[in-house]
Amino acid sequence: MAAVEIVTPMTSDDAVATLQASAPGEAVVLAGGTDLLFDLEEGRTAPRRVISLRRLPWRTLDWNGPTLTIGSTLPLRTVENDSDVRARIPGLYEAVRAVGSVALRHQATMGGNLGRCAPASDLVPMLLALDAEVDLVGPAGERRLTVDQFVIGSRSTALQRGELIRSVRIPEARPSAYVWQRVRPFHDISHMAVAVAFSPSRSRWRVAISGFPPRPILAPATEDALHGPVPDESALGHAAEALARHAPIVADKRASEEYRRQLVRPLLIRAVHSVVPPPGAP
Amino acid sequence: MTTPATRLTVNGRPAVLGDVPTGERLLDTLRWRLGLKGTKEGCRTGGCGACTVLVDGQSALSCLLLTHEVDQASVTTIEGIADDPVGARVRAAFDSAGALQCGYCTPGFVMALTGLLRERGRSIPLEELLEDLGGNLCRCTGYATIVRAAQLAREGAP
Repeated sequence: MAAVEIVTPMTSDDAVATLQASAPGEAVVLAGGTDLLFDLEEGRTAPRRVISLRRLPWRTLDWNGPTLTIGSTLPLRTVENDSDVRARIPGLYEAVRAVGSVALRHQATMGGNLGRCAPASDLVPMLLALDAEVDLVGPAGERRLTVDQFVIGSRSTALQRGELIRSVRIPEARPSAYVWQRVRPFHDISHMAVAVAFSPSRSRWRVAISGFPPRPILAPATEDALHGPVPDESALGHAAEALARHAPIVADKRASEEYRRQLVRPLLIRAVHSVVPPPGAP
Repeated sequence: MTTPATRLTVNGRPAVLGDVPTGERLLDTLRWRLGLKGTKEGCRTGGCGACTVLVDGQSALSCLLLTHEVDQASVTTIEGIADDPVGARVRAAFDSAGALQCGYCTPGFVMALTGLLRERGRSIPLEELLEDLGGNLCRCTGYATIVRAAQLAREGAP
């Protein structure tokens, strides 16, 4: 990594001003650094300035009734260790545990995962299924986008120049699950993953799939096919078949399209069964 | 380009480091600046756990931390593990289980297990403890004795 300047702003305003004062490509934003440091080491990005967010007061986790707000620089391990997250949003707990290792999660952050926006992100699909929103701060003030609006593709988001992710807002705790397939069970990248959540307020399932480019996506046709809080087994089977056939799944260097289509069917069934155990299950 | 001196506490002793390049990793600072070669470089991409140390008591990957980012922190490496009561117990468990072959992964495993037991104590279910060691790789595949060491260390946890 070439010589760079590290700037460590203490306030949100300072962070935004520093970022805005930097020419495009001149500065990168550092949260946990677990992904960014690869790029710096490999020379894929060669900024003159690194803006470290570590001193900003954004390492927060707040419950307000059913709503959970997670500060963008809070280490993921702290999210995982929150007993209410595990009990009330099990899918989020599972998705966070799918990211890297314990030591990595002591460093990695939700803001970083969203900002880097990998096609195989384990957090983005779960946040989609939870209808999560992203609160941004920037030169023009604050704005809120849904995760679906925020995510564009690998390393590509709706962030505008000078904007930072301040927090992620999950409007409603939901029964939920996150399941994946990969080479190694722990500390690996998912070839294919399914996130499901049941919204009590809308009495509707949300389903997202992940693992292939360009980005994790919602599967509205599958959501429509899962009627009510307890989908019947044949509706679930048909929804899984249709998802495997029609989802815009593609191949990349990690897995073929055919393999992924084979995987998504049992993953969806397993995810829904994790939320609503099938008849006769122990 | 450099910034003002970086101040760390390493294994209980203050370390004031001048002229640390901004891009320097904690791993390299420990090994080459402080001579603490017990912390190993494996993949250098956060995938193997060989470089695990404790930063403010929590496991961290020293290959993915800029030294400047841990200014003012307390760092524990394998060389300081005996001074930590949990670490001393983990070391004894590795000893009685004979949990090493070539030994290259051992410091990382000892640090990761120490971090987990400090964080969760005996209440961590064994299955979860073993899952949580999944970020550390042993290329000799000597996992059976490492699992045994983890069981022993957990049983002795307060």
